[in-house]
Amino acid sequence: MAAMFSQNPLMNGPNYSVNDAPRVNAPEGAREHRFDPYTDNGGSTLAIAGADFTIMAGDTRLTSGYSINSRHHPKLFKIGGTTADQKDATIVLSVVGFAADGEALKERLDAICKMYRYRHGKPMSVKACAQRLSTILYQKRFFPYYAYAILGGLDEEGKGAVYSYDPVGSYEREQCRAGGAAASLIMPFLDNQVNFKNQYIPNSGEGHALQERERRPLTRTEVETLVKDAFDGAVERHIEVGDGLQMMAITRHGIEEVFLPLKKD
Amino acid sequence: MPGFDFSNYNRNAALHARGVPLPKATSTGTTIVGCIFDGGVGIAADTRATSGPIVADKNCEKLHYISPNIWCAGAGTAADTEFTTALISSQLELHSLSTGRKPRVVTCMTMLKQHLFRYQGHIGAYLVVAGVDPTGTHLFTVHAHGSTDKLPYVTMGSGSLAAMSVFESQWQPSLNRDQAVKLCADAIEAGIWNDLGSGSNVDVAIITADKTTLRRNYIKPNERTAKLRSYVFPKGTTAVLNEKIIPKGDLGKFISVEELTEEGGDKMEVDT
Amino acid sequence: MDRLKKGEVNMAVTFKDGVILGADSRTTTGAYIANRVTDKLTQVHDTIWCCRSGSAADTQAVADIVKYQLELFAMMNGKPPTTQTAGAIFQEICYSNKDRLSAGLIIAGWDERHGGQVYSIPLGGSLHKQPYSIGGSGSTYIYGYCDANWREGMEEAEAVSFVKEALKEAIKWDGSSGGVIRMVVLTAKGADRHLYLPDTDYKVRHQ
Repeated sequence: MAAMFSQNPLMNGPNYSVNDAPRVNAPEGAREHRFDPYTDNGGSTLAIAGADFTIMAGDTRLTSGYSINSRHHPKLFKIGGTTADQKDATIVLSVVGFAADGEALKERLDAICKMYRYRHGKPMSVKACAQRLSTILYQKRFFPYYAYAILGGLDEEGKGAVYSYDPVGSYEREQCRAGGAAASLIMPFLDNQVNFKNQYIPNSGEGHALQERERRPLTRTEVETLVKDAFDGAVERHIEVGDGLQMMAITRHGIEEVFLPLKKD
Repeated sequence: MPGFDFSNYNRNAALHARGVPLPKATSTGTTIVGCIFDGGVGIAADTRATSGPIVADKNCEKLHYISPNIWCAGAGTAADTEFTTALISSQLELHSLSTGRKPRVVTCMTMLKQHLFRYQGHIGAYLVVAGVDPTGTHLFTVHAHGSTDKLPYVTMGSGSLAAMSVFESQWQPSLNRDQAVKLCADAIEAGIWNDLGSGSNVDVAIITADKTTLRRNYIKPNERTAKLRSYVFPKGTTAVLNEKIIPKGDLGKFISVEELTEEGGDKMEVDT
Repeated sequence: MDRLKKGEVNMAVTFKDGVILGADSRTTTGAYIANRVTDKLTQVHDTIWCCRSGSAADTQAVADIVKYQLELFAMMNGKPPTTQTAGAIFQEICYSNKDRLSAGLIIAGWDERHGGQVYSIPLGGSLHKQPYSIGGSGSTYIYGYCDANWREGMEEAEAVSFVKEALKEAIKWDGSSGGVIRMVVLTAKGADRHLYLPDTDYKVRHQ
């Protein structure tokens, strides 16, 4: 049981929200009860594509309401290796939202990638995998996987590739993307620091005519620094983000994985 | 007319019925505790204030002053705990002045419960009331609906279950001051780590017959980690869309200006 | 949020020399036990007490008002109020605010005129004089027990044992009753408190 006086949005209903709004035409005190198969397990994810690498990251906290279910639950999964340990995988999937659906989605995509490898004798390209993931999500259009997925890898030219999805399969290739609970906190930071949005070259013109700061590909160390700082910031201001940071770097040499500590309050 | 202003009630109810969400109040999804020891009483609180899942304040004060010998820890709606304790504090001081006696904890608790009962739970203040008065050491909880409990150790707020687990496993009938403070701080820490509504630091107040000690940020187990690089922008990074300079002499066109005379009154300090 | 409820069991029983009140000590908010050693037996005058059940806030507020009224009554009339008077004041408040209160009360007292008496005020605000009364969610489990074992004019020890056994049964079967057993014995000698702990299977009297 959750807390006694929690303003817990899941167990007691939000303090004030549309959910509390009285239903028109409903008899006095009538309440609609129905099966709700989804839970929001919190957490946040992040992916940035570089010139010849992709960095993916996610915190390892799993929550429901005001409770912590796990302090070490990975949100990043290697996809499509030949074996169970995914040693030779080249693609990473990150999922955030409802953890059970995320897990199920990962299992589906991994099985499909493994079948592809078995039938064609070569690993799936990120582009193909991205399209297939979209199909999987849309197949459940009317009972969706409640998961915000991001797929990361290297494209046919060896450039970093990041594909981001909504729960029903709409997707797009991007330079960077933040997902989950703290996405709204992290994304503006990324726009500014990765794509140099709202940064102008000083004294390069008058008013609107100012020249935008020129974009340049970030190095791997720069990106890793941004990712860590982004999560340290998110942990400070979002209660569902914390405990640990899982980070994966996808390069032509394979996938490197690290776990770093985050604040635990 | 004194009291609350209800003039927007009908408009807000109509908006609410049409699905417009009401403004979200800052709640101190909180852990607060209190514990009696030999010779006094201690109360403690975490310092996180939240607005939904967002941390609104990382180091807020949830220990409220009532009188020199009575303090309150508050959970629930931040504004309600602040205004309710301030109101009762004020009434109790006037009462103390007119009777010429030191305020009593039961008096404070009774005034709080009667105030909260009158508002039928709409004032969302959940309080731990503690103090020492001429009749002895006292510790109470007051719920938003107006019910009260008297116990040797108490917890409230969203982290109350985590904190109570510490009390139920470590509390003993006789405690000295240091043991009680440690126990209270440990209970708050249980809330900080295990309840998402609680976090940051531990505040403690220790009340004995002769003095009250407020230990603001008694434990700081959650210092912010240093940023890995500087995010200072070069001057001129932000576009200036338009600029208008009004010379000091022309200010009179927009506002009324009165020159201050040198003599009479202190000279105003001006930043240069 | 759930408001504090005392999902519980309590009772009051008349015997030869007076009356006994008994109650468990559990207060809950949903599934959480907010207080495991609650005192639901509240004194409203020297030898007039009440058992509170329902909303903690409501019953405390009502009991506080009645306590004040009875003290005023005693001062104005120069003599202590009767149990019936106390019951009537309780009823006045419970009936006129019936749509705002969730309070189930049992009033028991000893007075010079009538000896031990029991009155019960259920949810609607009606007032019933009874030889004994049981209330709270746990009471449904002990209607049979009480009906079979209660006798007119029991000795004090017999009555204490009857109350204790009945409450033990209710605590055993009702999930929202529990904790310690508290009793108050009201006789010509005044009020006498009993406390029985689950640690000793409610056998030993403390205090």
